[in-house]
Amino acid sequence: MATKFILGMRDAFFNALYEIAKKDRKVVLISADNGAPTLDKFASDLKNQFFTVGIAEQQMIGMAAGMATEGYKVYTYAIAPFVTTRVHEQNKIDICAMNLPIVNLGIGAGYAYDVMGPSHHTVEDISIMRVLPNMTIYSPADGVCAQALAGVSYQSYSPMYIRFDRAGVENIYGDDFNVQKGFHQISNGNHLCILTTGRMVHEAIKVAQELNNFGIQASVIDLFCIKPLPSGLVEKLSTFPKIVTYEEHLLAGGLGSLILEELSDAGVYRPTLRIGQKDRFVFDNGGRQCIWDKYGLDAESVVKNIKSWMAVDQPHQESVLR
Amino acid sequence: MSASNVVLSKSEMEAKANWLREKVLQMAIKANSGHISTAYSQAELLIALYYGGLLSFDAQNDLCPKRDRFILSKGQGGIGLYPILADLGFFPEEEVINFTQANSILGVHADWHIPGVEVITGSLGHGLPIATGKALALKMQNKKELVFCLLGDGELYEGSNWEAAFSASHYELDNLVCIVDRNGQAVLGKTDEIDSQRDGPRIEPLDKKFEAFGFEVRVIDGHCFDSIHGSMADTRSRNSKKPLMIIAQTFKGKGLSLMEDQRMWHYRVPQGEDLKSCWNDLKGTSNGN
Repeated sequence: MATKFILGMRDAFFNALYEIAKKDRKVVLISADNGAPTLDKFASDLKNQFFTVGIAEQQMIGMAAGMATEGYKVYTYAIAPFVTTRVHEQNKIDICAMNLPIVNLGIGAGYAYDVMGPSHHTVEDISIMRVLPNMTIYSPADGVCAQALAGVSYQSYSPMYIRFDRAGVENIYGDDFNVQKGFHQISNGNHLCILTTGRMVHEAIKVAQELNNFGIQASVIDLFCIKPLPSGLVEKLSTFPKIVTYEEHLLAGGLGSLILEELSDAGVYRPTLRIGQKDRFVFDNGGRQCIWDKYGLDAESVVKNIKSWMAVDQPHQESVLR
Repeated sequence: MSASNVVLSKSEMEAKANWLREKVLQMAIKANSGHISTAYSQAELLIALYYGGLLSFDAQNDLCPKRDRFILSKGQGGIGLYPILADLGFFPEEEVINFTQANSILGVHADWHIPGVEVITGSLGHGLPIATGKALALKMQNKKELVFCLLGDGELYEGSNWEAAFSASHYELDNLVCIVDRNGQAVLGKTDEIDSQRDGPRIEPLDKKFEAFGFEVRVIDGHCFDSIHGSMADTRSRNSKKPLMIIAQTFKGKGLSLMEDQRMWHYRVPQGEDLKSCWNDLKGTSNGN
């Protein structure tokens, strides 16, 4: 189903947004001094719809709120930490408390800005954005999803945060992709479900393939709508005997955390293994793969982790797996 | 709109300011809550805006597109705005009486659910960035309405104001009228009389700071209606692309011997003899309670 072409998911989004903004002059974008090749066209062709406030994210959000209260559909754009942690209070008060149709676009979720250090790592954004009432969160895994989110965000009348990866990744989805569903089951296996999001969807697919070599049949679910949790997800998860959550994010409050909250509230109790970053900052250099390798987030480590968890957690797994 | 709104004479506005101070004291006592002293420093500024023909509004249609946008960035001043809005007909007087009580729409900090209040404030340093967004949006649509933003001087310690100041001049927001209630105090300390560890940092020279940021700056007596009107009479006909910054010199707790320019009254409600002294001061200037 996958059509291969590599375009950064951010760029896929901006290309689609450009077409929307060309038709609707009330669509504006405010950048805190961040660009993108696909944004140059936006800035040059749609001069009255593109604003730069300098490296001033509080102003970016406040100004966005002011414009939104006057009827504009406003997108803000910066590296992910600077539309989330840097401006948490502006997101809370200016955007969410007034339920304004502003879309914060964050580039470089997770460890995408690998060698830039903790200031540019964004591994707590899901936690802090999901506590904001009215906020919707999307986390696309490829350009097809990202492109579809341009339309979804344009149609939205409430606050939204979209976390993009920085790198170009192969497309997972094709023309039949259904963005409205909020999640997508990529592979089918009935021993466990690996629930993941964003860049790690690509790693999870590798994990599932590798597990298959050991007789473990794993499904992979890409949860691209983090909040509100899509209807049908809990029901879907309840069909699996075990769940693994896999995220390039701190465990505190992240994907695994929110899923366990939802499952618990729904009375669905499944053995669940949360794979993510523990309570630490990362100062390691060498690139994203080095970080993954060191902290057990790479596909190989995750395979080992899941195998050992399956063995320990369920001594009679052999019979289950056969 | 302002043309149809009643414009009071100077002496009527002076009486209105005294009425407002009485109202604020009554509300604070009943609620045992509320920022009296800051409501008193901004009193003449708000009276001039709402009763002096400086601000265009429609109390019967609070979201009328032709209104000027007024943002009370110093959200704690809500107690001093609500009686005015009720008096003008934005909402019933009972709401004022029930300030902060169960089922009242009026809390300590102004928020956008209240008719006549544009946006939520309370956390400082939010109003001016939002005001720049509104001003930019109005300019983009060639609309003639103005955006007014009332700031506290202690609020100016918040860096977001200065982020907004960059944009205000960069986007030539000549439709933006900022007013600083320059009462010289924050919560705990004074802004420029550095007597103890509680005070400062210094804010002066504030006029030069905003001039350097590209504002047209006017420094006025914020308790004098002639001075206030003089500073805002030309807001719709200024021959400048600069945003306007009016620094209104005021006194926290103006009109009360107990509080005027005194410390520690940012969020205190007077009781007993203190309260008597307040009523005596107010009676001395009007026929109030």
